[in-house]
Amino acid sequence: MSALISFASQFGAKIMLNPEFIVENAQRYYFINPALRKLARRDFYYAGLYLGKVKKGVFFPSFNLLNMLVATAANKVILDRKTAWLYICGRDVFRTGILKMTGSKRKGDATLVLNEFGECLGFGRIMGQIDESGKNDIIIKNVSDVGDFLRRER
Amino acid sequence: MSGKDFFLNRYENLGWHFQEPNVRQAIRINKTTAKGKHLVKRLEGLGIQLEKVPFLEQGYWVKSSKISVGATAEYLLGLYSIQEAAAQIPATLFTGLKGKKVLDAAAAPGGKTVQLADLMENSGVIIALDVDKQRLTALANHLERCHVSNTVVYQFDARQASQLNLKFDRVLLDVPCSGNFASDKDWFKHRTMQDVERNAKVQRGILAEAVKCLADDGEIVYSTCSLEPEEDELNMDWAVKNLNLQIQEVNCHGAKGLTNIFGHKLDVSVERCRRIWPDETQGFFVCKLKRRMKST
Repeated sequence: MSALISFASQFGAKIMLNPEFIVENAQRYYFINPALRKLARRDFYYAGLYLGKVKKGVFFPSFNLLNMLVATAANKVILDRKTAWLYICGRDVFRTGILKMTGSKRKGDATLVLNEFGECLGFGRIMGQIDESGKNDIIIKNVSDVGDFLRRER
Repeated sequence: MSGKDFFLNRYENLGWHFQEPNVRQAIRINKTTAKGKHLVKRLEGLGIQLEKVPFLEQGYWVKSSKISVGATAEYLLGLYSIQEAAAQIPATLFTGLKGKKVLDAAAAPGGKTVQLADLMENSGVIIALDVDKQRLTALANHLERCHVSNTVVYQFDARQASQLNLKFDRVLLDVPCSGNFASDKDWFKHRTMQDVERNAKVQRGILAEAVKCLADDGEIVYSTCSLEPEEDELNMDWAVKNLNLQIQEVNCHGAKGLTNIFGHKLDVSVERCRRIWPDETQGFFVCKLKRRMKST
């Protein structure tokens, strides 16, 4: 649970889930609601809502978790349509593709990356000050994006 | 007992004349995740032209597309799934899925599991089984992409499902099968009657086990993408005669099940099954079953 809280706090977000229902299995975290919990055996492969995994001491969030953080996160960046497409292809974000940025603008901080509809595409690291950067400077370094679902299948 | 001529001759004897199918790509809108998002309009804006599948509530044919429908943000965000039209039928045949305990006995890669979760609006519980670890990874990815939250997945053989010690209200048996030529261009080259008979036996094993896990008033939906009657009508006839099951009427796309297979007469209730010969969809077979009620 501490891995999840610590991850969420990077965005100024809170985990709004009852910790009683968060289960760790093979270093993967799942939110398992009471109805499921009554039936789920310990040897499950996957259960409930997958929240993320810890690998070599680093927490990797699921897209379910990132999606959940949108409601409470302070650090968010909204991309225009073309940049959103490039982002899910694994690309970083230049200043010109950003429609709106809220919360921290400090270099190294984490931010959720949303499309024009407010849907979470992933998260990234702030690389430069949006107000002081040139149009070809990278503002957000891509850390994780939903295009990963396609890359996993290769 | 194999080869194109052999199988086409069988289909002729079953009353279907071969015609080259034109299987159309289809998607299914996940109403839980796509609610209020005007998805059809959004996809049209991306150059994806859709046409409603007349026999499906959430299904659309892809009429034309400038981009791959499997690589849009909308797909990656779980707003829709790519799911062949006939394969969308089985999950829709259950009644009152919300809040129910459902077994998806051969679940991977998870298209129907996600559809069940969507129809259940993530209420109740789905227990999803598959034996193949690699396919379970695909299932898990599918569940994550579509934000499914009511499913527990086990690496488990459906023929041992009763070991879970659970009784299910609804059981989906989309059983492993021999497939069909419309979805596999080399099908005629590599399929033999031995495969068909082996698969039919496995399917009967899964069916028999599923009955042990079925609640008294529970429903089973059995489906295959095989055109071979051994895996379809003959197995349903066997289930009626050996498992105390009754075939239910269904109101869905497809022709009536066959009750005369190469001169062998089956229980008349087998015609309540639905057989879909390949055309705009792949070949498919579906049947809904319940326990036979004790006569009073």
